[in-house]
Amino acid sequence: MTRPLSIVRALLAALLLCSIAPAYAGNKLIVAGVSIAVAKSAMTVTPEREWNKMGARPGRNSETWTLDGDTLNDLTFYGGIANDATLFREVNKRSAPLPRFSSTMLLTDIPVLLENSYRIALNTSLMAVDSVTPTTFAGEKAIHFTYSFTNQDGLRRNGEGTAAIIAGKLYMITFEAPVIHYFARDVASYHQVVASVRFPAVAKRK
Amino acid sequence: MRRRFGWRGALCAALIAAAPAAVQAQVVRRGLPPFAKGYEPHTVDERGMWMIADEDERKLRDSKFVINDSALNAYIRSVLCKTVGDDRCQGARIYVMRIAAFNASMSPNGTLQVWSGLLMRVRSEAELAAVLGHEFAHFEMRHSLAGYRHARSASDIMAWASLLGTSGIVLQAAAVGSFFSYGRAQEEEADQLSMQYLLNSPYNPQGFADVWERIMSETDATALGRKQRSTRYDRTAFFASHPTTLQRAGYLRELAGQRTGDDGEDRYLKAMAKWRPEFLADQLKLNDFGGTEYLLGQLAKSGWTPDLLMARADLHRTRGNPRDLVSAADLYRQVVAQSPDNAEAYRGLGMALLRGPNPAEGKDALRHYLSLRPDAQDSAMISVLTQ
Repeated sequence: MTRPLSIVRALLAALLLCSIAPAYAGNKLIVAGVSIAVAKSAMTVTPEREWNKMGARPGRNSETWTLDGDTLNDLTFYGGIANDATLFREVNKRSAPLPRFSSTMLLTDIPVLLENSYRIALNTSLMAVDSVTPTTFAGEKAIHFTYSFTNQDGLRRNGEGTAAIIAGKLYMITFEAPVIHYFARDVASYHQVVASVRFPAVAKRK
Repeated sequence: MRRRFGWRGALCAALIAAAPAAVQAQVVRRGLPPFAKGYEPHTVDERGMWMIADEDERKLRDSKFVINDSALNAYIRSVLCKTVGDDRCQGARIYVMRIAAFNASMSPNGTLQVWSGLLMRVRSEAELAAVLGHEFAHFEMRHSLAGYRHARSASDIMAWASLLGTSGIVLQAAAVGSFFSYGRAQEEEADQLSMQYLLNSPYNPQGFADVWERIMSETDATALGRKQRSTRYDRTAFFASHPTTLQRAGYLRELAGQRTGDDGEDRYLKAMAKWRPEFLADQLKLNDFGGTEYLLGQLAKSGWTPDLLMARADLHRTRGNPRDLVSAADLYRQVVAQSPDNAEAYRGLGMALLRGPNPAEGKDALRHYLSLRPDAQDSAMISVLTQ
Protein backbone atom coordinates (compact mmCIF):
# COMPACT_ATOMS: atom_id res chain seq x y z
CA MET A 1 0.00 0.00 0.00
CA THR A 2 2.84 2.35 0.81
CA ARG A 3 4.71 2.05 -2.45
CA PRO A 4 1.90 3.00 -4.93
CA LEU A 5 1.00 5.91 -2.67
CA SER A 6 4.58 7.18 -2.61
CA ILE A 7 4.74 6.90 -6.43
CA VAL A 8 1.55 8.90 -6.73
CA ARG A 9 2.97 11.47 -4.32
CA ALA A 10 6.23 11.69 -6.28
CA LEU A 11 4.30 12.13 -9.52
CA LEU A 12 2.12 14.81 -7.97
CA ALA A 13 5.21 16.58 -6.61
CA ALA A 14 6.85 16.44 -10.06
CA LEU A 15 3.69 17.79 -11.69
CA LEU A 16 3.52 20.57 -9.13
CA LEU A 17 7.15 21.46 -9.70
CA CYS A 18 6.62 21.51 -13.46
CA SER A 19 3.60 23.77 -13.11
CA ILE A 20 5.44 26.31 -10.97
CA ALA A 21 8.75 26.05 -12.78
CA PRO A 22 8.40 29.28 -14.86
CA ALA A 23 7.96 31.32 -11.68
CA TYR A 24 11.23 29.97 -10.34
CA ALA A 25 13.16 30.02 -13.62
CA GLY A 26 16.59 31.13 -12.53
CA ASN A 27 18.67 34.04 -13.68
CA LYS A 28 21.28 33.25 -16.27
CA LEU A 29 24.74 34.59 -16.96
CA ILE A 30 25.18 36.24 -20.37
CA VAL A 31 28.79 35.86 -21.37
CA ALA A 32 30.74 38.65 -23.01
CA GLY A 33 31.66 38.62 -26.68
CA VAL A 34 29.14 36.00 -27.80
CA SER A 35 26.24 36.82 -30.10
CA ILE A 36 22.90 35.85 -28.58
CA ALA A 37 19.27 36.01 -29.72
CA VAL A 38 17.10 38.00 -27.30
CA ALA A 39 13.43 38.27 -26.32
CA LYS A 40 12.41 35.13 -28.21
CA SER A 41 13.02 36.94 -31.47
CA ALA A 42 15.37 37.13 -34.43
CA MET A 43 17.10 40.12 -32.85
CA THR A 44 20.66 39.30 -31.79
CA VAL A 45 23.13 41.32 -29.74
CA THR A 46 26.79 40.85 -28.78
CA PRO A 47 27.52 42.35 -25.36
CA GLU A 48 31.11 43.34 -24.57
CA ARG A 49 30.68 42.66 -20.87
CA GLU A 50 28.88 40.08 -18.77
CA TRP A 51 25.23 40.66 -17.91
CA ASN A 52 22.66 38.69 -15.90
CA LYS A 53 19.48 37.70 -17.68
CA MET A 54 16.52 37.88 -15.27
CA GLY A 55 14.46 34.72 -14.99
CA ALA A 56 11.19 36.66 -14.91
CA ARG A 57 10.20 38.19 -18.25
CA PRO A 58 8.29 41.50 -18.30
CA GLY A 59 6.07 40.07 -21.03
CA ARG A 60 5.80 37.38 -23.65
CA ASN A 61 8.17 39.01 -26.16
CA SER A 62 10.62 40.66 -23.83
CA GLU A 63 13.47 39.98 -21.46
CA THR A 64 15.52 41.96 -18.99
CA TRP A 65 19.24 41.95 -18.28
CA THR A 66 20.87 43.58 -15.30
CA LEU A 67 24.28 44.18 -13.77
CA ASP A 68 23.53 44.70 -10.08
CA GLY A 69 19.82 43.88 -9.76
CA ASP A 70 16.63 44.72 -11.58
CA THR A 71 15.94 47.96 -9.68
CA LEU A 72 19.50 49.25 -10.16
CA ASN A 73 20.10 48.77 -13.87
CA ASP A 74 17.57 47.34 -16.30
CA LEU A 75 18.33 46.58 -19.91
CA THR A 76 15.08 45.44 -21.50
CA PHE A 77 14.63 43.95 -24.97
CA TYR A 78 11.26 44.02 -26.71
CA GLY A 79 11.49 41.50 -29.51
CA GLY A 80 8.71 42.09 -31.99
CA ILE A 81 5.66 43.37 -30.14
CA ALA A 82 2.79 42.55 -32.47
CA ASN A 83 -0.13 44.76 -33.47
CA ASP A 84 -2.69 45.19 -30.64
CA ALA A 85 -0.34 43.79 -27.97
CA THR A 86 0.79 45.55 -24.79
CA LEU A 87 4.48 46.26 -24.20
CA PHE A 88 4.51 44.07 -21.11
CA ARG A 89 2.19 42.03 -18.93
CA GLU A 90 -1.01 43.77 -17.77
CA VAL A 91 -0.90 44.85 -14.13
CA ASN A 92 -4.65 45.21 -13.75
CA LYS A 93 -6.45 44.55 -17.00
CA ARG A 94 -9.88 45.53 -15.72
CA SER A 95 -9.30 48.77 -13.86
CA ALA A 96 -6.01 49.93 -15.41
CA PRO A 97 -5.56 48.38 -18.85
CA LEU A 98 -2.30 49.15 -20.65
CA PRO A 99 -2.24 50.86 -24.05
CA ARG A 100 -1.54 48.64 -27.05
CA PHE A 101 0.97 48.89 -29.84
CA SER A 102 -0.41 49.45 -33.31
CA SER A 103 1.58 48.64 -36.42
CA THR A 104 0.37 51.90 -38.00
CA MET A 105 2.05 53.97 -35.27
CA LEU A 106 4.64 56.56 -36.23
CA LEU A 107 8.08 56.30 -34.62
CA THR A 108 7.24 59.35 -32.51
CA ASP A 109 4.30 57.45 -31.00
CA ILE A 110 6.62 54.83 -29.45
CA PRO A 111 8.07 56.94 -26.60
CA VAL A 112 4.48 58.01 -25.80
CA LEU A 113 3.39 54.35 -25.71
CA LEU A 114 6.22 53.55 -23.30
CA GLU A 115 5.48 56.59 -21.12
CA ASN A 116 1.76 55.81 -20.85
CA SER A 117 2.44 52.14 -20.13
CA TYR A 118 4.89 53.05 -17.36
CA ARG A 119 2.56 55.64 -15.84
CA ILE A 120 -0.19 53.04 -15.56
CA ALA A 121 1.92 50.03 -14.55
CA LEU A 122 4.06 51.90 -12.02
CA ASN A 123 1.16 54.05 -10.83
CA THR A 124 3.12 57.26 -11.19
CA SER A 125 2.44 60.64 -12.72
CA LEU A 126 6.12 61.55 -12.47
CA MET A 127 7.26 60.31 -15.86
CA ALA A 128 8.41 62.32 -18.85
CA VAL A 129 10.00 61.76 -22.23
CA ASP A 130 12.79 64.32 -22.22
CA SER A 131 14.12 64.15 -25.79
CA VAL A 132 13.59 62.36 -29.10
CA THR A 133 16.11 62.13 -31.96
CA PRO A 134 16.30 60.11 -35.17
CA THR A 135 18.71 57.21 -35.32
CA THR A 136 19.18 53.84 -36.99
CA PHE A 137 18.64 50.42 -35.46
CA ALA A 138 20.36 47.57 -37.30
CA GLY A 139 20.24 49.76 -40.39
CA GLU A 140 16.51 50.55 -40.04
CA LYS A 141 15.01 54.02 -39.55
CA ALA A 142 14.56 54.34 -35.77
CA ILE A 143 13.97 56.69 -32.86
CA HIS A 144 16.21 57.27 -29.88
CA PHE A 145 14.66 58.84 -26.79
CA THR A 146 15.54 59.71 -23.22
CA TYR A 147 13.12 59.64 -20.31
CA SER A 148 12.99 60.01 -16.56
CA PHE A 149 10.56 58.77 -13.93
CA THR A 150 10.03 58.35 -10.24
CA ASN A 151 8.63 55.10 -9.01
CA GLN A 152 6.59 54.60 -5.82
CA ASP A 153 9.94 53.92 -4.08
CA GLY A 154 10.68 57.64 -4.52
CA LEU A 155 13.93 57.06 -6.40
CA ARG A 156 14.43 59.12 -9.55
CA ARG A 157 15.54 57.08 -12.56
CA ASN A 158 16.77 58.04 -16.00
CA GLY A 159 16.17 55.96 -19.08
CA GLU A 160 17.08 55.72 -22.75
CA GLY A 161 15.38 53.80 -25.49
CA THR A 162 15.93 52.94 -29.13
CA ALA A 163 13.04 51.61 -31.17
CA ALA A 164 12.16 50.66 -34.73
CA ILE A 165 9.06 49.24 -36.38
CA ILE A 166 10.14 46.38 -38.62
CA ALA A 167 7.61 44.40 -40.67
CA GLY A 168 4.80 45.85 -38.54
CA LYS A 169 6.34 44.76 -35.24
CA LEU A 170 8.01 46.83 -32.56
CA TYR A 171 11.64 46.14 -31.69
CA MET A 172 13.01 48.20 -28.84
CA ILE A 173 15.81 48.21 -26.31
CA THR A 174 15.54 50.36 -23.20
CA PHE A 175 17.94 51.00 -20.37
CA GLU A 176 17.09 52.61 -17.05
CA ALA A 177 18.88 53.11 -13.77
CA PRO A 178 18.76 55.44 -10.75
CA VAL A 179 20.07 58.93 -11.49
CA ILE A 180 22.35 58.57 -8.48
CA HIS A 181 25.52 56.70 -9.46
CA TYR A 182 24.16 53.91 -11.68
CA PHE A 183 22.81 55.59 -14.81
CA ALA A 184 25.93 57.53 -15.78
CA ARG A 185 28.16 54.59 -14.86
CA ASP A 186 26.36 51.99 -16.99
CA VAL A 187 24.74 53.83 -19.90
CA ALA A 188 27.79 53.24 -22.15
CA SER A 189 27.25 49.47 -21.85
CA TYR A 190 23.71 50.00 -23.13
CA HIS A 191 24.95 52.01 -26.10
CA GLN A 192 27.36 49.21 -26.91
CA VAL A 193 24.58 46.58 -26.83
CA VAL A 194 22.33 48.73 -29.09
CA ALA A 195 25.20 49.21 -31.55
CA SER A 196 25.64 45.42 -31.73
CA VAL A 197 22.03 44.66 -32.75
CA ARG A 198 21.66 42.51 -35.84
CA PHE A 199 18.70 40.92 -37.56
CA PRO A 200 19.11 37.78 -39.63
CA ALA A 201 17.71 38.51 -43.10
CA VAL A 202 14.52 36.54 -42.48
CA ALA A 203 13.27 39.04 -39.90
CA LYS A 204 13.83 42.00 -42.19
CA ARG A 205 11.41 40.83 -44.83
CA LYS A 206 8.70 43.49 -45.07
CA MET B 1 -24.56 17.12 20.61
CA ARG B 2 -27.84 18.93 20.67
CA ARG B 3 -27.12 20.29 24.15
CA ARG B 4 -23.69 21.53 23.12
CA PHE B 5 -25.11 23.26 20.07
CA GLY B 6 -27.71 24.79 22.39
CA TRP B 7 -25.28 26.66 24.61
CA ARG B 8 -23.14 27.61 21.66
CA GLY B 9 -26.18 28.95 19.89
CA ALA B 10 -27.25 30.87 22.99
CA LEU B 11 -23.78 32.39 23.41
CA CYS B 12 -23.70 33.22 19.74
CA ALA B 13 -27.07 34.96 19.97
CA ALA B 14 -25.93 36.90 23.03
CA LEU B 15 -22.78 38.07 21.26
CA ILE B 16 -24.72 39.05 18.12
CA ALA B 17 -27.00 41.09 20.34
CA ALA B 18 -23.95 42.73 21.93
CA ALA B 19 -22.31 43.50 18.58
CA PRO B 20 -24.57 46.43 17.61
CA ALA B 21 -23.77 48.10 20.95
CA ALA B 22 -20.09 47.93 20.05
CA VAL B 23 -20.91 49.11 16.52
CA GLN B 24 -22.63 52.21 17.79
CA ALA B 25 -19.94 53.03 20.35
CA GLN B 26 -19.26 56.74 19.98
CA VAL B 27 -16.00 58.44 20.74
CA VAL B 28 -16.18 60.33 23.98
CA ARG B 29 -15.23 63.90 23.18
CA ARG B 30 -12.54 64.97 25.60
CA GLY B 31 -11.19 68.45 26.20
CA LEU B 32 -10.06 70.49 23.24
CA PRO B 33 -10.99 69.71 19.63
CA PRO B 34 -8.13 68.19 17.57
CA PHE B 35 -7.65 71.37 15.50
CA ALA B 36 -6.89 73.51 18.57
CA LYS B 37 -3.37 74.98 18.62
CA GLY B 38 -0.98 72.88 20.67
CA TYR B 39 -3.49 70.05 20.99
CA GLU B 40 -1.92 66.90 22.40
CA PRO B 41 -3.64 63.56 21.86
CA HIS B 42 -5.24 61.84 24.86
CA THR B 43 -5.34 58.12 25.57
CA VAL B 44 -2.96 55.42 24.43
CA ASP B 45 -4.89 54.81 21.20
CA GLU B 46 -4.95 58.44 20.13
CA ARG B 47 -1.30 59.00 20.99
CA GLY B 48 -0.36 55.91 18.97
CA MET B 49 -2.37 57.08 15.96
CA TRP B 50 -0.81 60.53 16.07
CA MET B 51 2.65 59.03 16.33
CA ILE B 52 2.04 56.97 13.15
CA ALA B 53 0.46 59.98 11.41
CA ASP B 54 3.45 62.17 12.35
CA GLU B 55 5.84 59.61 10.88
CA ASP B 56 3.74 59.36 7.70
CA GLU B 57 3.72 63.14 7.41
CA ARG B 58 7.52 63.32 7.68
CA LYS B 59 7.73 60.91 4.71
CA LEU B 60 5.01 62.78 2.83
CA ARG B 61 6.80 66.11 3.25
CA ASP B 62 9.81 64.70 1.39
CA SER B 63 7.81 62.83 -1.27
CA LYS B 64 8.58 63.63 -4.91
CA PHE B 65 4.84 63.55 -5.58
CA VAL B 66 4.18 66.72 -3.54
CA ILE B 67 3.60 69.81 -5.71
CA ASN B 68 5.68 72.59 -4.16
CA ASP B 69 3.73 75.65 -5.29
CA SER B 70 3.17 78.09 -2.44
CA ALA B 71 0.54 80.08 -4.37
CA LEU B 72 -1.53 76.96 -5.06
CA ASN B 73 -1.16 75.82 -1.47
CA ALA B 74 -2.21 79.25 -0.13
CA TYR B 75 -5.25 79.25 -2.42
CA ILE B 76 -6.43 75.85 -1.19
CA ARG B 77 -5.92 76.97 2.40
CA SER B 78 -7.99 80.10 1.76
CA VAL B 79 -10.86 77.93 0.45
CA LEU B 80 -10.58 75.63 3.49
CA CYS B 81 -10.59 78.62 5.86
CA LYS B 82 -13.65 80.15 4.21
CA THR B 83 -15.39 76.78 4.54
CA VAL B 84 -14.62 75.63 8.08
CA GLY B 85 -13.71 78.99 9.63
CA ASP B 86 -10.41 80.66 10.47
CA ASP B 87 -10.32 79.17 13.95
CA ARG B 88 -10.36 75.63 12.58
CA CYS B 89 -8.29 75.78 9.40
CA GLN B 90 -4.98 77.14 10.67
CA GLY B 91 -3.77 73.87 12.16
CA ALA B 92 -4.15 71.88 8.92
CA ARG B 93 -1.03 71.21 6.83
CA ILE B 94 -1.97 70.97 3.17
CA TYR B 95 -0.06 68.77 0.71
CA VAL B 96 -1.06 68.89 -2.95
CA MET B 97 -0.10 65.57 -4.54
CA ARG B 98 0.57 64.93 -8.24
CA ILE B 99 -1.71 61.90 -8.46
CA ALA B 100 -4.22 61.72 -11.31
CA ALA B 101 -7.19 60.34 -9.37
CA PHE B 102 -10.14 61.88 -7.54
CA ASN B 103 -9.19 61.88 -3.86
CA ALA B 104 -8.48 63.90 -0.75
CA SER B 105 -7.79 62.66 2.77
CA MET B 106 -7.03 64.01 6.22
CA SER B 107 -5.00 62.21 8.87
CA PRO B 108 -5.82 62.29 12.61
CA ASN B 109 -2.95 64.77 13.18
CA GLY B 110 -4.27 67.32 10.66
CA THR B 111 -2.34 66.37 7.50
CA LEU B 112 -4.58 67.22 4.55
CA GLN B 113 -3.74 65.58 1.20
CA VAL B 114 -5.37 66.92 -1.96
CA TRP B 115 -4.72 64.97 -5.16
CA SER B 116 -4.30 66.69 -8.52
CA GLY B 117 -7.04 64.48 -10.03
CA LEU B 118 -9.50 66.09 -7.62
CA LEU B 119 -8.36 69.62 -8.51
CA MET B 120 -8.90 68.86 -12.19
CA ARG B 121 -12.38 67.43 -11.67
CA VAL B 122 -13.96 70.07 -9.44
CA ARG B 123 -15.24 73.05 -11.38
CA SER B 124 -15.60 75.75 -8.74
CA GLU B 125 -14.46 76.90 -5.32
CA ALA B 126 -17.80 75.76 -3.90
CA GLU B 127 -17.19 72.19 -5.08
CA LEU B 128 -13.65 72.17 -3.72
CA ALA B 129 -14.98 73.58 -0.44
CA ALA B 130 -17.47 70.70 -0.19
CA VAL B 131 -14.78 68.03 -0.54
CA LEU B 132 -12.31 69.78 1.79
CA GLY B 133 -15.09 70.29 4.34
CA HIS B 134 -15.94 66.59 4.21
CA GLU B 135 -12.34 65.58 4.96
CA PHE B 136 -12.10 68.17 7.71
CA ALA B 137 -15.28 66.78 9.26
CA HIS B 138 -13.66 63.33 9.53
CA PHE B 139 -10.72 65.00 11.29
CA GLU B 140 -12.83 67.07 13.64
CA MET B 141 -14.95 64.06 14.62
CA ARG B 142 -11.83 61.93 15.19
CA HIS B 143 -13.23 59.26 12.90
CA SER B 144 -9.90 57.44 12.46
CA LEU B 145 -9.71 56.89 16.20
CA ALA B 146 -13.31 55.74 16.45
CA GLY B 147 -12.83 53.48 13.42
CA TYR B 148 -9.71 51.96 14.94
CA ARG B 149 -11.46 51.22 18.23
CA HIS B 150 -14.42 49.77 16.43
CA ALA B 151 -12.19 47.59 14.25
CA ARG B 152 -10.46 46.33 17.37
CA SER B 153 -13.70 45.40 19.11
CA ALA B 154 -14.92 43.72 15.90
CA SER B 155 -11.69 41.70 15.68
CA ASP B 156 -12.06 40.75 19.40
CA ILE B 157 -15.55 39.44 18.64
CA MET B 158 -14.16 37.54 15.66
CA ALA B 159 -11.41 35.98 17.78
CA TRP B 160 -13.86 34.84 20.44
CA ALA B 161 -16.33 33.64 17.82
CA SER B 162 -13.65 31.46 16.25
CA LEU B 163 -13.73 29.37 19.44
CA LEU B 164 -17.36 28.55 18.72
CA GLY B 165 -16.52 26.53 15.63
CA THR B 166 -19.04 26.48 12.81
CA SER B 167 -21.76 28.26 14.77
CA GLY B 168 -19.34 31.15 15.32
CA ILE B 169 -19.16 31.82 11.57
CA VAL B 170 -22.44 33.75 11.63
CA LEU B 171 -21.11 35.93 14.39
CA GLN B 172 -17.82 36.47 12.59
CA ALA B 173 -19.72 37.53 9.49
CA ALA B 174 -21.78 39.95 11.61
CA ALA B 175 -18.57 41.43 13.05
CA VAL B 176 -17.02 41.84 9.58
CA GLY B 177 -20.23 43.41 8.30
CA SER B 178 -20.38 45.80 11.25
CA PHE B 179 -16.81 46.91 10.51
CA PHE B 180 -17.75 48.07 7.02
CA SER B 181 -21.20 49.46 7.90
CA TYR B 182 -19.52 51.52 10.63
CA GLY B 183 -17.33 53.06 7.93
CA ARG B 184 -20.45 53.96 5.94
CA ALA B 185 -22.05 55.54 9.04
CA GLN B 186 -18.93 57.67 9.54
CA GLU B 187 -19.06 58.85 5.93
CA GLU B 188 -22.67 59.95 6.34
CA GLU B 189 -21.81 61.72 9.58
CA ALA B 190 -18.94 63.57 7.86
CA ASP B 191 -21.25 64.49 4.95
CA GLN B 192 -23.74 65.97 7.41
CA LEU B 193 -21.15 68.02 9.31
CA SER B 194 -19.51 69.25 6.11
CA MET B 195 -22.93 70.34 4.86
CA GLN B 196 -23.24 72.38 8.07
CA TYR B 197 -19.91 74.02 7.28
CA LEU B 198 -21.12 74.84 3.78
CA LEU B 199 -24.42 76.26 5.01
CA ASN B 200 -22.46 78.56 7.37
CA SER B 201 -20.02 79.58 4.61
CA PRO B 202 -20.52 81.94 1.65
CA TYR B 203 -20.40 78.94 -0.73
CA ASN B 204 -23.19 77.36 -2.70
CA PRO B 205 -23.92 74.01 -0.99
CA GLN B 206 -25.47 72.51 -4.16
CA GLY B 207 -21.94 71.88 -5.49
CA PHE B 208 -21.48 68.93 -3.13
CA ALA B 209 -24.12 66.77 -4.82
CA ASP B 210 -22.98 67.97 -8.26
CA VAL B 211 -19.50 66.51 -7.63
CA TRP B 212 -20.88 63.07 -6.77
CA GLU B 213 -23.25 63.04 -9.72
CA ARG B 214 -20.40 63.79 -12.11
CA ILE B 215 -18.19 61.11 -10.54
CA MET B 216 -20.96 58.54 -11.20
CA SER B 217 -21.24 59.62 -14.83
CA GLU B 218 -17.48 59.57 -15.33
CA THR B 219 -17.22 56.06 -13.88
CA ASP B 220 -20.00 54.98 -16.25
CA ALA B 221 -18.20 56.57 -19.20
CA THR B 222 -14.95 54.82 -18.27
CA ALA B 223 -16.73 51.46 -18.06
CA LEU B 224 -18.48 52.04 -21.36
CA GLY B 225 -15.20 53.02 -23.04
CA ARG B 226 -13.63 49.77 -21.82
CA LYS B 227 -16.65 47.71 -22.83
CA GLN B 228 -17.33 46.79 -19.20
CA ARG B 229 -20.56 46.74 -17.23
CA SER B 230 -21.28 49.99 -15.48
CA THR B 231 -21.11 50.12 -11.69
CA ARG B 232 -24.40 49.90 -9.79
CA TYR B 233 -24.87 52.93 -7.59
CA ASP B 234 -28.06 51.91 -5.80
CA ARG B 235 -26.85 48.84 -3.94
CA THR B 236 -24.47 48.77 -0.98
CA ALA B 237 -21.98 45.92 -1.16
CA PHE B 238 -21.23 44.02 2.03
CA PHE B 239 -17.63 45.28 2.05
CA ALA B 240 -18.42 48.87 1.00
CA SER B 241 -16.75 51.43 3.24
CA HIS B 242 -18.64 54.37 1.74
CA PRO B 243 -22.38 54.94 1.16
CA THR B 244 -23.48 54.35 -2.40
CA THR B 245 -22.71 57.33 -4.57
CA LEU B 246 -26.36 57.57 -5.58
CA GLN B 247 -27.55 57.66 -1.94
CA ARG B 248 -24.91 60.24 -1.24
CA ALA B 249 -25.89 62.55 -4.08
CA GLY B 250 -29.52 62.15 -2.99
CA TYR B 251 -29.20 63.03 0.68
CA LEU B 252 -26.68 65.80 0.01
CA ARG B 253 -29.18 67.43 -2.35
CA GLU B 254 -31.83 67.13 0.39
CA LEU B 255 -29.57 68.61 3.09
CA ALA B 256 -28.60 71.54 0.86
CA GLY B 257 -32.29 72.43 0.39
CA GLN B 258 -32.98 75.52 -1.66
CA ARG B 259 -29.94 77.43 -0.39
CA THR B 260 -27.61 78.86 -3.02
CA GLY B 261 -24.45 80.92 -2.67
CA ASP B 262 -21.14 81.86 -4.19
CA ASP B 263 -19.75 79.32 -6.70
CA GLY B 264 -16.43 81.09 -7.21
CA GLU B 265 -16.01 79.46 -10.61
CA ASP B 266 -13.92 82.24 -12.16
CA ARG B 267 -11.62 82.48 -9.15
CA TYR B 268 -11.12 78.73 -9.24
CA LEU B 269 -10.27 78.64 -12.95
CA LYS B 270 -7.81 81.51 -12.48
CA ALA B 271 -6.09 79.76 -9.58
CA MET B 272 -5.79 76.53 -11.58
CA ALA B 273 -4.73 78.15 -14.88
CA LYS B 274 -1.05 77.32 -14.35
CA TRP B 275 -1.68 73.70 -13.46
CA ARG B 276 -4.67 72.62 -15.56
CA PRO B 277 -2.63 71.78 -18.69
CA GLU B 278 -0.33 69.59 -16.59
CA PHE B 279 -3.20 67.80 -14.87
CA LEU B 280 -4.98 67.33 -18.22
CA ALA B 281 -1.80 65.79 -19.66
CA ASP B 282 -1.67 63.34 -16.74
CA GLN B 283 -5.28 62.35 -17.38
CA LEU B 284 -4.71 61.85 -21.13
CA LYS B 285 -1.97 59.31 -20.39
CA LEU B 286 -4.21 57.00 -18.35
CA ASN B 287 -5.58 55.08 -21.35
CA ASP B 288 -9.15 55.88 -20.27
CA PHE B 289 -10.84 57.14 -23.44
CA GLY B 290 -14.45 57.09 -22.20
CA GLY B 291 -13.80 58.72 -18.81
CA THR B 292 -11.49 61.37 -20.25
CA GLU B 293 -13.90 62.24 -23.08
CA TYR B 294 -16.67 62.73 -20.48
CA LEU B 295 -14.39 64.78 -18.24
CA LEU B 296 -13.33 67.08 -21.09
CA GLY B 297 -16.98 67.56 -22.03
CA GLN B 298 -17.74 68.60 -18.45
CA LEU B 299 -14.79 71.01 -18.29
CA ALA B 300 -15.92 72.52 -21.59
CA LYS B 301 -19.43 73.32 -20.31
CA SER B 302 -18.74 77.02 -20.74
CA GLY B 303 -16.99 76.58 -24.10
CA TRP B 304 -14.23 74.63 -25.83
CA THR B 305 -11.08 76.62 -25.13
CA PRO B 306 -7.93 75.83 -27.20
CA ASP B 307 -6.35 73.81 -24.35
CA LEU B 308 -9.45 71.60 -24.01
CA LEU B 309 -9.69 71.15 -27.79
CA MET B 310 -6.00 70.19 -27.90
CA ALA B 311 -6.50 67.70 -25.09
CA ARG B 312 -9.46 66.13 -26.89
CA ALA B 313 -7.53 65.98 -30.17
CA ASP B 314 -4.56 64.33 -28.44
CA LEU B 315 -6.94 61.85 -26.77
CA HIS B 316 -8.36 60.78 -30.15
CA ARG B 317 -4.96 60.67 -31.84
CA THR B 318 -3.52 58.50 -29.05
CA ARG B 319 -6.31 55.94 -29.37
CA GLY B 320 -5.55 55.98 -33.06
CA ASN B 321 -8.45 54.11 -34.69
CA PRO B 322 -8.90 55.35 -38.29
CA ARG B 323 -12.02 57.33 -37.29
CA ASP B 324 -10.16 58.77 -34.27
CA LEU B 325 -7.45 60.13 -36.56
CA VAL B 326 -10.09 61.89 -38.69
CA SER B 327 -11.70 63.36 -35.52
CA ALA B 328 -8.30 64.37 -34.16
CA ALA B 329 -7.36 66.18 -37.39
CA ASP B 330 -10.68 68.04 -37.30
CA LEU B 331 -10.13 69.07 -33.67
CA TYR B 332 -6.57 70.26 -34.35
CA ARG B 333 -7.94 72.37 -37.22
CA GLN B 334 -10.41 73.97 -34.77
CA VAL B 335 -7.48 74.86 -32.49
CA VAL B 336 -5.54 76.35 -35.40
CA ALA B 337 -8.62 78.37 -36.36
CA GLN B 338 -8.75 79.84 -32.81
CA SER B 339 -4.99 80.33 -32.42
CA PRO B 340 -3.10 80.25 -35.76
CA ASP B 341 0.34 80.36 -34.09
CA ASN B 342 -0.24 77.22 -32.02
CA ALA B 343 2.74 75.13 -33.15
CA GLU B 344 1.73 72.10 -31.08
CA ALA B 345 -1.60 71.97 -32.92
CA TYR B 346 0.22 71.80 -36.28
CA ARG B 347 2.44 69.04 -34.88
CA GLY B 348 -0.60 67.03 -33.77
CA LEU B 349 -2.44 67.74 -37.05
CA GLY B 350 0.57 66.57 -39.04
CA MET B 351 0.87 63.34 -37.09
CA ALA B 352 -2.86 62.57 -37.26
CA LEU B 353 -2.88 63.08 -41.04
CA LEU B 354 0.38 61.21 -41.57
CA ARG B 355 -1.00 58.17 -39.78
CA GLY B 356 -4.42 58.60 -41.31
CA PRO B 357 -5.83 59.28 -44.73
CA ASN B 358 -3.71 62.18 -45.99
CA PRO B 359 0.06 61.79 -45.47
CA ALA B 360 1.03 64.53 -47.94
CA GLU B 361 -1.06 67.13 -46.11
CA GLY B 362 0.35 65.75 -42.84
CA LYS B 363 3.90 66.43 -43.98
CA ASP B 364 2.92 70.02 -44.87
CA ALA B 365 1.49 70.53 -41.37
CA LEU B 366 4.67 69.17 -39.80
CA ARG B 367 6.77 71.51 -41.97
CA HIS B 368 4.61 74.37 -40.72
CA TYR B 369 5.27 73.22 -37.15
CA LEU B 370 9.02 73.32 -37.81
CA SER B 371 8.75 76.81 -39.32
CA LEU B 372 6.93 78.02 -36.20
CA ARG B 373 9.29 76.22 -33.80
CA PRO B 374 12.64 75.80 -35.60
CA ASP B 375 14.44 75.24 -32.30
CA ALA B 376 12.02 72.58 -31.02
CA GLN B 377 13.74 69.71 -29.24
CA ASP B 378 12.15 67.16 -31.59
CA SER B 379 12.86 69.12 -34.80
CA ALA B 380 15.34 66.54 -36.16
CA MET B 381 12.91 63.67 -35.57
CA ILE B 382 10.00 65.58 -37.11
CA SER B 383 12.16 66.45 -40.13
CA VAL B 384 12.62 62.72 -40.73
CA LEU B 385 8.82 62.26 -40.74
CA THR B 386 8.44 64.95 -43.39
CA GLN B 387 10.73 63.11 -45.84
